[in-house]
Amino acid sequence: MTRSRRTELDVNGTVVEVDARPGEPLLSVLRGGLGLRGAKEACGRGECGACTVLLDGVPVMSCVLMVEEAEHGRITTAEGLAEEHRELRRAFAEKGGFQCGFCTPGQIVRAGALLDEAAGLGDEELRAAMSGNICRCTGYTQIIDAIRQAAAHRETA
Amino acid sequence: MTSPSVPRVVGTSVPPKNWEERTSGTDAYAGDLDPPGTLTAHVLRSPHPYARIVSLDTERARRMPGVHAVITAADFPVDTPYIHAEGTHSDRHPLARDVVRFVGEEVAAVAAETAEQARAAAEAIVVRYRRPRRRPPLTMDAALKRRSLRLHRRPSGEHNVSVHDTGQWGDPETGRDAATMSVEGTFHYPRVSHACMEPNTTLAHWHADTGTLELWTSTQAPWFVTTEVAHVLGLDPARVICRDVAVGGGFGSKSKVCEHEALAAALSIAAGRPVRLAYTREEEFAATKPRHAFRVRLRSAADDGGRLRALDARLDVDNGAYNHYGPSIMKVGIKTLGSIYRPDGVAWDARLIDTALPPGGQFRGYGSPQVAFAMESQADELAERLGIDPIDFRLRNANEPGTTTLSGARLGSARLAECLAAVRDAIGWDEKRRDRRPLRGVGVACGMHGSGSYAHGGSNRSDAAVDLFEDGRARVRFGGADAGTGQRTVLAQIAAEELGLDADDVDVLMADGELTPFDMGAWSSRGTHMGGHAVRKAAAELAETVCGLAAEKLGSDDVRLAGGRAHALDADIALGDLVALSPDARDGALSHETSYVDPRMETFGGGNPRPNVSASYTFAAHAVEVEVDEVTGRVRVLDYVAAHDIGRAINPAMAEGQVIGGVAQGLGAALGEELVYESGRTVNPAYINYALPRAADLPPVRVVLIEGDEEAGPYDAKSVGEMPIVPPAPAVANAVYDAIGVRIRDLPITPDKVLRALAERDGRPARRYRIAARPSRWWIELLRRAYPFGVHWTLHRFGTRLARRVPAREIESVERPADTAGAVALTAAGGTAVGGNTDLAPQRQQRLIAPTTLVRLSAVPALRTITDRDDGALDIGAAVTLDALAAATRGRLDAVADAVESIASAQIRAVATVGGNLVQAKRCWFFRNGFDCYKRGGAACPCYAVQGDHRFYHAAIGGHRCQAVTPSDLGTVFTALDARVLLSGPAGDRTVAIGDFYTGPGETCLRPGELVTAVRVPASARDRRCVFDKLQLWSGDFAVVSVALSAAVTAGRWDGTRVVLGAVAPTPWRARATEAGCDGARFDSARFRALLDGELARHGHPLAGNDWKLDAALGMAVRAAGRMEGDQ
Repeated sequence: MTRSRRTELDVNGTVVEVDARPGEPLLSVLRGGLGLRGAKEACGRGECGACTVLLDGVPVMSCVLMVEEAEHGRITTAEGLAEEHRELRRAFAEKGGFQCGFCTPGQIVRAGALLDEAAGLGDEELRAAMSGNICRCTGYTQIIDAIRQAAAHRETA
Repeated sequence: MTSPSVPRVVGTSVPPKNWEERTSGTDAYAGDLDPPGTLTAHVLRSPHPYARIVSLDTERARRMPGVHAVITAADFPVDTPYIHAEGTHSDRHPLARDVVRFVGEEVAAVAAETAEQARAAAEAIVVRYRRPRRRPPLTMDAALKRRSLRLHRRPSGEHNVSVHDTGQWGDPETGRDAATMSVEGTFHYPRVSHACMEPNTTLAHWHADTGTLELWTSTQAPWFVTTEVAHVLGLDPARVICRDVAVGGGFGSKSKVCEHEALAAALSIAAGRPVRLAYTREEEFAATKPRHAFRVRLRSAADDGGRLRALDARLDVDNGAYNHYGPSIMKVGIKTLGSIYRPDGVAWDARLIDTALPPGGQFRGYGSPQVAFAMESQADELAERLGIDPIDFRLRNANEPGTTTLSGARLGSARLAECLAAVRDAIGWDEKRRDRRPLRGVGVACGMHGSGSYAHGGSNRSDAAVDLFEDGRARVRFGGADAGTGQRTVLAQIAAEELGLDADDVDVLMADGELTPFDMGAWSSRGTHMGGHAVRKAAAELAETVCGLAAEKLGSDDVRLAGGRAHALDADIALGDLVALSPDARDGALSHETSYVDPRMETFGGGNPRPNVSASYTFAAHAVEVEVDEVTGRVRVLDYVAAHDIGRAINPAMAEGQVIGGVAQGLGAALGEELVYESGRTVNPAYINYALPRAADLPPVRVVLIEGDEEAGPYDAKSVGEMPIVPPAPAVANAVYDAIGVRIRDLPITPDKVLRALAERDGRPARRYRIAARPSRWWIELLRRAYPFGVHWTLHRFGTRLARRVPAREIESVERPADTAGAVALTAAGGTAVGGNTDLAPQRQQRLIAPTTLVRLSAVPALRTITDRDDGALDIGAAVTLDALAAATRGRLDAVADAVESIASAQIRAVATVGGNLVQAKRCWFFRNGFDCYKRGGAACPCYAVQGDHRFYHAAIGGHRCQAVTPSDLGTVFTALDARVLLSGPAGDRTVAIGDFYTGPGETCLRPGELVTAVRVPASARDRRCVFDKLQLWSGDFAVVSVALSAAVTAGRWDGTRVVLGAVAPTPWRARATEAGCDGARFDSARFRALLDGELARHGHPLAGNDWKLDAALGMAVRAAGRMEGDQ
């Protein structure tokens, strides 16, 4: 068996040390060694967005991102965004932006990165931007509504 | 004296319980739990659609590192199949006994320390299979042929017919006689996957000391899990205890046992440790139980007055390899015939047919969507024949309140007419039917569904308990599970309503085998009706007790509960303070448990042919506006309105959410979703191969809740969960007919079907390819023709035994070269260059590659730059991300940016690289999904695309033994720009024209150790016009067809024209004759079309089902050329 390597990661503003196998997906390190279960594995192939985290502020699929690619960047997970995106999360709850909730941390991370520009995006553009995050429950209407509400709140805040 | 008469909490959109946890990622699903010592499980599945298990040797697997348990059928009691629909229908064991009947059937399972160890051990189990001489039946038609293999001995006595049901309600004969017209047709509804976001997961923990089994499992119905697991393991059901855990979607799939629960349990018992079994996404698609495919041959008859008089139906239901709930799903399909309208009579002849495919299961709608698709399509056909508006026709035939339907449903409230009026108004029906716009159409469809069903003994009963604590908070204890329906919140609202609390003051414990009373779970749209009544009753009775305590304490009989206090005329007291006053209080809580038995429901099983199985019935009407692209055949949904006769919504936002979500799933089935099989194996077990709607594929869905009294419901509520998935498919089919006059009876309504139907409508002859005059194609044509006559079968059956297989290997190192030379040195030494890695994990899982050393090109700064060269060319480094490429080309090479933005998702484009996109392996869904195909396994193996589903992703020009295409969109657009590819290798650097770069489908001229370092777009490209267009089945899909055109246009004259078609040939295909014909002349659309049409006829060599791609390509190219002209 390949030996794990001690790896330093900057996760949610804290530098942590964790064991990781060469080429191990970041998701597996987050959920395993670091016990951060917000990012979910729904496909393991970069096809659904449930594992979305931020790398240097940019949403990426952590299930296909090698830990080596994340080593010198800032990683932010849904847990680390909970305070910053309080209004967005509330909007998801009020508008019906989730039902089963499994894709929701990924949706929140993805949508959070869009908030600053969302007000300037048309519906089609906003939907296109969110199309990497599959939701099987809601039909998306309410997710888009929630993002709009949170973006409007940010503008007036 | 107890609760206020006007509901306060019920009827308001309180936010979901647990929203804080759900939105911050801190709620725990079964896969998030990790008690110390937890082992990981892996299931060994059958690779054959039918085979006898000759021997099963687990010895080696048991000795492998990390392995703690290996189980086979021998670990379960003999003759103890799952109960399922009971009696003779019960036919499946937790692990295959002696015979496997579908690809994916569970044969053995392993628990080990790590997932890798479990998988390795499962693969080390040696199973010897003997395949029968006769072919296993892989379609319903094949199954019915007497020479096909028989899967089971069935009571029907008919060959591969599990259940044969004929009958009638009402007086169909009188109806037929009275009718003056009829329409007839055959409708097909395919297998569709639930595709829940949370993969099915069980964490099982066996406690040997107490003989109890704890389960945290993704289920909608803990009662069924407990009952079935106890049954197949021979345990006392009282000692099989489910625990409350978040569940990530169900849609019916998890409303009964899902197999993994028993396997995880047996492994935990064998290992003496907690065991987690989580399905992969591939297993989710290929090994869970999808919606049953139905073939409905229907004849609807009406009279001149616009009255529907009779329905005659023949239903063929694809059961798959085992019964599960197929018999009852077929029954509900039949019931649908007698539910929405009131003809004189309906008659049916229905067969549940055994096929050697994964068994079907329960899916939202439960047989109704399949039959309603036929009925509601024919309602429109009849309306047209009668010259009546489709909505008016439905209004004339709608079932009315207070009546009994043909199927025996005793309707209380029934507001179908109001629903129809609402959608007529909201979609602008009359205006849109009057002021027609080309290629746009509107459609309507209806449905009906019960609220709960007395389908099993006990399912007319639901129990609930409510605890009131000294701190004033309350807790509902309920035995069902909430997989995302919002039931948890609804139950809290109801308890709060009765106790005068806020919903926030009420916690809800569900699914706990020790603490929650009896309930059979969330299925048959019973959550609100049954659970709602049970909690209402429990809370009301507890409120009564509390009021009694308060009356005594406050000295007044006039007590009401509000704001967490009991109020008398001039005094009040906190509810929590009353707890201690009760002699029945225990441990600081006053508890009350009760049982609700619905008085209206009649059982299916009691010999009554027309039982009133539900207490209330909901109706819905949906209207949709679509636009059909006659060039690509793609149907776009522009607007959607759903009106639901809901009684009264307990939580309107959640009720609307159920409707919108159901519509989205219904639209998925209408327009794209379909599980595809070949040789019994699932062809598309991945999100990337399954056209379920992404956000950009759907319009906003508008909901109208039609509210009013319903005596049977808790607070007038009727069901909402299943109803919305029924109307979308026929509504869309009707709208497509309205738009283009073409009726599609075969779901999903994909571009190929639309284009074919349009060609047929217009009487356009098929393009003739004259293969006889093209000797270079003879060999391929001969091979293709020989495939059905034994070649495919021989290669599949015997050739694949010689298939090459890539062994699994771990990645040993990830290298970070400092510069290009360093990267080349590493790849020359055997390293594998990687860009964004987005396809590395999939290919490793698919066992296509097993690299041990990865070389990170993204670490090389020079490869991440985009350089404007002095000669005007643009050098794009191989490790430039797609996002960076789009940013750099927007405004100056828009076609490149357009192509980039059509690729995958924002998250993928953020890391995927230009080089990686260009060299990505083919995406053929056979090659990618485990088929031992020609490309993967070698020359002795067949190309599964020849006979399999090749409508979308395979070559229609120039295919050889492999029919795959180059998937790179950048490859297509760069070809149109005359780009060159810069390579660096051990032998030095070289540059090749992109046309020479590709040598086959996703195959390149790269030599061993050689890398792509950059793409060079020549200076000339900037002065050209260039347009890119792409047809895809969902937003982010690979191209089904793409076109890239470019030309230098001076004073209207085209020069250096490039016409490039992507995804229609093994490599990006240039229409050189068309290009030459355009050069030096002004653009003429008709001439362009004629040139390209002729060239496609000279070069095309489509497979049986993908000639439409060349029609689409032609139309898209003409349209793109028009855009080039329009750019002036």
